[in-house]
Amino acid sequence: MNKRKPIQRILIDFMKITVAQMILAGLCSALAFSFDTNGQEILDKKISLVVKNESAKSILNRIEKKAELKFTYQPQIVKNLKNISIDSPAISIKELLNEIFDSSVYYEVVGNQIILSSVDDAGPDVVTPERVEKFVLTITGTITDESGEVLPGVNVLERGTTNGTSTDENGKFNLNVADNNAILVFSFIGYATQEVPVGSRTVFDISLQPDATSLEEVVVVGYGTQKKSSVVAAISTVSSKEINALPVPSVEQALQGRAPGVIVTSNGAPGEAPLVRIRGINSINYASNPLYVVDGIAQVGNFNLFDSKDIESVEVLKDANSASIYGSRAAAGVILITTKKGARDSKLHVQLDSYVGVQNAWKQLDLLNRDQYIQYGTALLTNAGAALPPRFATMNEPIYEGSTQTFAQTETDWQDELFRSAPITQTSISVSGGNEKSRFYVSGGYFNQEGIMKGTGFERYNLRINSDHKIARRITLGHTLFIGTGKQQREQNAGGRTQIQNMIRMVPYIPVLNPTNIGGYGGTTGADGSDPQNPVRSAVQDLDVQNNTRILGTLFLEAELTKWLKYRVNIGADFNTGRQYIYQPIYNEGFNGRSQATLNDNRDNYFSPIYTNQLTFDRTFGKHYINAIAVMEYQSATSTSLDAAGNAATNEIKELNGLSNQAVTGTRDESVIYSYIGRINYEFANKYLLSASIRRDGASNFAPGKKFGNFPSIGIGWRISEENFLKNASAISELKLRGSYGELGYIPGNYLWQSTVSSSTNAVFGGQRSLGAYYDRLGNQALTWEVTKMTNIGIDAGFFRNKLTFSAEYFDRTTDNLILDVAPATSTGYSQPTSANIGDMRNWGFEFQAGYSENSGDLKWNLTGNIGVVKNDVRKLASATNTLDRGANGDYGNTDITRTEAGHPVQSFYGWLTDGIFQSADEVANAATQANAAPGDIRFKDVDGNGAIDAADRVYLGSFLPDFSYGLNFSANYKGLDATLFFQGVQGNEIYNGTRVLTEGMLRLFNSGTAVLDAWTPTNTDTNVPRAVNSDPNGNSRTSDRFIEDGSYFRLKNISVGYSVPEETLRAITKNTLGNLRVYVAAQNLFTITNYKGYDPEIGSRFSNQLTQGIDYGQFPQARTFLVGLQVGF
Amino acid sequence: MGYKSLKNGLMVALLFAACNEADLDKLNPNGGTPESYYSTADELTKGVNAIYGKAQSIQLVAREWFFLHDLRSDDVASGGGQLEGARNQVLTGAHLPTNSVLTDVWSGFYRTIHRANSVIDGSANTKNISDELKARLVAEAKFLRAWAYSELVTLWGDVPLYQTTVKSLTESQARTPADEVLQFVISDLAEIQADLPLTYSGTDVGRVTRGAAQALLGRVYMERGLEYYDEAKTELDKVYTSGVYTLMDEYSDNFLEETAFNSESVFEIGFANDQFNWDADGNSAGNVEGNSRTQEYSAIGWRNLIPSNGLIAEYERTADGFPENDPRFSDNFYRIGDSFNNGSEVLTDALVQGNLSLLGGVQEKISWKKYTSLYKNNATFYTGAMNMRIIRFAEVLLNLAEVENELGNASTAIGYLNELRNRPSVSLPNYPIAGKFPVNSKDEIFKAIVHEKRVELAGEQHRNRDILRWRRQDKLTTEPISYFQENKFERLPIPQVEFATNASLTNADQNPGY
Repeated sequence: MNKRKPIQRILIDFMKITVAQMILAGLCSALAFSFDTNGQEILDKKISLVVKNESAKSILNRIEKKAELKFTYQPQIVKNLKNISIDSPAISIKELLNEIFDSSVYYEVVGNQIILSSVDDAGPDVVTPERVEKFVLTITGTITDESGEVLPGVNVLERGTTNGTSTDENGKFNLNVADNNAILVFSFIGYATQEVPVGSRTVFDISLQPDATSLEEVVVVGYGTQKKSSVVAAISTVSSKEINALPVPSVEQALQGRAPGVIVTSNGAPGEAPLVRIRGINSINYASNPLYVVDGIAQVGNFNLFDSKDIESVEVLKDANSASIYGSRAAAGVILITTKKGARDSKLHVQLDSYVGVQNAWKQLDLLNRDQYIQYGTALLTNAGAALPPRFATMNEPIYEGSTQTFAQTETDWQDELFRSAPITQTSISVSGGNEKSRFYVSGGYFNQEGIMKGTGFERYNLRINSDHKIARRITLGHTLFIGTGKQQREQNAGGRTQIQNMIRMVPYIPVLNPTNIGGYGGTTGADGSDPQNPVRSAVQDLDVQNNTRILGTLFLEAELTKWLKYRVNIGADFNTGRQYIYQPIYNEGFNGRSQATLNDNRDNYFSPIYTNQLTFDRTFGKHYINAIAVMEYQSATSTSLDAAGNAATNEIKELNGLSNQAVTGTRDESVIYSYIGRINYEFANKYLLSASIRRDGASNFAPGKKFGNFPSIGIGWRISEENFLKNASAISELKLRGSYGELGYIPGNYLWQSTVSSSTNAVFGGQRSLGAYYDRLGNQALTWEVTKMTNIGIDAGFFRNKLTFSAEYFDRTTDNLILDVAPATSTGYSQPTSANIGDMRNWGFEFQAGYSENSGDLKWNLTGNIGVVKNDVRKLASATNTLDRGANGDYGNTDITRTEAGHPVQSFYGWLTDGIFQSADEVANAATQANAAPGDIRFKDVDGNGAIDAADRVYLGSFLPDFSYGLNFSANYKGLDATLFFQGVQGNEIYNGTRVLTEGMLRLFNSGTAVLDAWTPTNTDTNVPRAVNSDPNGNSRTSDRFIEDGSYFRLKNISVGYSVPEETLRAITKNTLGNLRVYVAAQNLFTITNYKGYDPEIGSRFSNQLTQGIDYGQFPQARTFLVGLQVGF
Repeated sequence: MGYKSLKNGLMVALLFAACNEADLDKLNPNGGTPESYYSTADELTKGVNAIYGKAQSIQLVAREWFFLHDLRSDDVASGGGQLEGARNQVLTGAHLPTNSVLTDVWSGFYRTIHRANSVIDGSANTKNISDELKARLVAEAKFLRAWAYSELVTLWGDVPLYQTTVKSLTESQARTPADEVLQFVISDLAEIQADLPLTYSGTDVGRVTRGAAQALLGRVYMERGLEYYDEAKTELDKVYTSGVYTLMDEYSDNFLEETAFNSESVFEIGFANDQFNWDADGNSAGNVEGNSRTQEYSAIGWRNLIPSNGLIAEYERTADGFPENDPRFSDNFYRIGDSFNNGSEVLTDALVQGNLSLLGGVQEKISWKKYTSLYKNNATFYTGAMNMRIIRFAEVLLNLAEVENELGNASTAIGYLNELRNRPSVSLPNYPIAGKFPVNSKDEIFKAIVHEKRVELAGEQHRNRDILRWRRQDKLTTEPISYFQENKFERLPIPQVEFATNASLTNADQNPGY
């Protein structure tokens, strides 16, 4: 017989190969999957047994151990049996049972349980093993959740017996019961248990409702899990479904708008890590990135290699009570990521997800065309008394020697040339399964996104294998393994400028291509009097490619020492290897060029092993419940880098081979943390909750004597809804008050306390380089952690069987030993600042989350929303008058844009106030002295009234921090149709629109926006655009309210509509091959309501750590994406 | 596996896991500590090299130092719209204490001083080194420190003085009177001469020579005041009679990449490669040690600065009644129609952007040629390996001329000037120049010196220093700086950042006028 293998068979074979690889990898030694074990196999299993004159009970115990099965029976059925003796090297279970009971019982096999019952109860028939099949009443059915989706894994039990089963991946079950007096019990975590008498029915389609009290709902917390109802901390859980709603490569991006208090700002460049800020800006000097803990491994961000489809849940630990268990690294919040495991339903689940889409820039700016540019340039230079570029008089010359086209005939739209329609696609396949002993989850995925600007993209392959196994009755061994590899082609920064900056400034009469130039691209020359970089050339020719391969694996062993004491050891490692390849070929486009090709080949390795020992105590004493943990943990991290560079006189060599000026440098960074952790969670009568923890961390990052720190926390909660006076209030299903306080730390970089001699400079003697060594920084032996003290008060409420839920939080966090850079006096010659714990900053705010779900009828829908409010106040810097001014950039007006100062929010915009335009020389003369001002220039406000416009007239102009940020999600289901709308936005933030400095600033001759055509002239006085005058003598483009814009936006982040083929139809059509099939269409950023005039109000940060957030230097904008997707289950 | 034995094993593992906390002691493996470094000949040498490396960085000789001196002089004018704002402010006297050009030069010199102090202090612990080498290395460090202080005093007047390494944030200093700083400089420059060789060979060429220390000391004595011209003469004479230095036959050999470290070069900062190192301190993983001078001044490209009309007019032309045209004009400047790129191309009006100059009453585009690489290529974005001459023998001759004239030795003074005019590539008639530069009196000779110095050293960062000194010494008959304002422009403002970081200074310590 040569039947085609069914798909499940093939997948099992595939899986076996994978398993073999895993064993090779040495990560897991005992993997044995068994499926669909049937009763007959168990009964036929042979064991060796020697007993002399033992009771039936004792023999049954021995069989249980030897055969790893379990007997369930009423005590009386073994009571009156005689002692017997057996001596057999191989005897089947069936034979043994017949021997013991002398055919006086029924036995039935459920999983690895054998249920024994008395013959007298069942009737007079002769007992044989076949009697198993004589349970006549077969019950079948489908279990769904409140929204009609099938629920796999629901327990179905015949009440008062151990006879039971669980639903398969389609929510179906099949159970034989004794008779129609039986009562079926359906139970599932998070849902109310239902009991239904069998009666005359044999088909039970049951819809389970969420548990009114959500008693069993469990959330992942640090080093364990906790019932949601018992949590006294501020934890936001984001489901796998929410994480996977958007076609974004990283989990951080997927968190945007999903949890109150979590602000995610993405740069639109593919593969670029977004900024994630939990409850505000935690640090002035450091990145304020949260700590990520994936399956127990703590690590720093960038999850672009990680496939979000593998994520079971994401928990955001926001307050001290939840986060301080991660001690010295938790000050910016903690994001716990738990990856998927297989279901224990003895079934194989195969799921294929795939989508393909197209992305486009959703907005373009109005830039000058050729003739407008000449008109503007003439005015700009003439008004400054400067000579016009020779080109303006020779526009009729050919664009290059031999061309028939003239400059006057050339019109290049550089936005069209640089932006493009870019494809995006992802395909993931997962196989999972499990039974009582083992479970596994295997997935593989591919993601590819091209950027909407030429020369950018991100591509990724990923593989995950998770499994765990009961290797003995009380011992579980498990592992997770992730391997991902990605390639990111980064945005070019020709001349240190963003592509958008070069695109805006590029002259419209210059052709994209010029075959007479080295490299073949067009550009300006001395004749044009303007020197922008051709952004298309750099996008196409220059390469900056980052390859990363990351392996993340854990191996754990958990032993139940007693019923209430578990020991767990977790060994894991995070390994990353990266290569940055930069290739910059020789070119000459006129002003700009490169006479030698430059190659950089930078390698980096990161290895961070972690070793965790944990004891967990979990016991109930009457009304008292205690869960306590003790943990000892060691984690180290070693980063090494090797950077090589060289030059070539030709463009032929693409690797560091035979190049000139080859140079190599290497670095190594090591850190070690030892941690001792204790936590106790105590509950009394399910009403009064207490959680207290302490973590003691020792870190290598500080000087001897400063290495250890303690991070305690305490939280209390009161479940008012459990009190007698509320217990019967049917409308209120949950009401809990909670509060917490704790301390969290932040570890700065390695070796900060030390002063180090560096040998990275050269002198040139006799034409040869000679290495030089120097030190440019003073150390600080007293340096220690930044410690954040945090208070949180929260309330959770649920009404009408939790149809309507609401929670609110208030938090207040202060850090009074912020590590700041203390700049040594310039004249001491130390160029690098010394780090010292001197700053003080406070963040406080509110968070609200509400949800409503309607689950009855054909139309099921739910609506959830969240709002986060964060306020920030810097309370102390190095001194009362100390300010940190940042953002000055010659291309953006050359004055600092933000100021950080005690008494104001961190990095507030800071500059002059405009007061209209001088209309006449008289007005200039009568106003406060303003150097170089002339009619047509902006009049600035003399705020201090000293009669002169100077640095003292600057004022605070607003903050990049929003008044609030929010997310709103609506999902609905009608029969096979589903729809999701996800809105997200921020309100009340300011953006310093640097792109408008480029388009309206008129600093030097470059292409500009059409606004400059409305520049002030003696005959065009009714305008708010100042006169065009080259080099901006009045400083019209200095930092002022002129370029501050409202950055609020309301955005339809995601809309998707899907259709699922009814299961029966699908099974019929596909001959049972497909279990489910959903097709959907979706769009991201379909519309955005904003007054912001730049490309996109959601601006990532260009310099992530330099107090310049909220300044739009022309960052990569978000794309609008349309996609179609397919989800298939087998 | 037996459950009991497993349990016991795990408990042992748990205890064992309380590992060795000595792991927590980590020292930066990427470099030594300042306390232990400078202990070998190699380390001390590298310490000294780093001082040169700093002098060669963007804050100093690779960029901001030549900009600052040139912009403050009357040698240059704006080339047009490409000149960045901060530079234009210095050019027009609109600079504030926040100006980035002057701030960079200030920090550049103090970082040079810090690196020198590190070596001078660290040398106390150096072992296995010959006394001779150690003395020379310390002498090099002291020279570079002296040069930095002399420049600081020239530009800012009274400045903080650090004679040893600063060990804590609280050790910042108030301003020391300029003359005290100069005395410190003078004592160092006098003391180190014996430790320095007259010349170097191979890959040491470019290190500080005895001649450099003497020439700088002569310059510093002149800076200190007229009453020190005797001492200045003594030092400059040492250079003149050392037999090491001669004028190059070809004037322009002093400004080409190929003729670096020639017999006229007394002290020179070396550059290599054609890539530019944008790190403020010249620190870098890569081997990029280029000089930005050519791309900043070049006729093609940015053309940020062009020669001023005053400087152009200073050159002797038959059209103005001089007996001959000064050939140094065409060595220093390009005009439209000149050939470049090894004679393979001709400069056209379309290639050159920006402002016009006035030559003989006619407007035309005149650009800098000195220190630009157009002589051998047509690259506009070129940052070449053009060494910068900090002291060349021509300056020693001109300083000698001034000193001798001041001391009443007229004919000796005129003789030094004529040496320059007799350089084969120049070959101009000796002074006096009838009707133009008579040399019958001290004043007339002084005028000839000023004239000769301006045309010889145009664009070489001397003019600003001379104007400041001559003004102070009451030598100027007319004020050369158009925006000059007494009690302000004699000194640059101390950078704002110094006030923000130096607890020993208050705003009242700012130079007048700012």
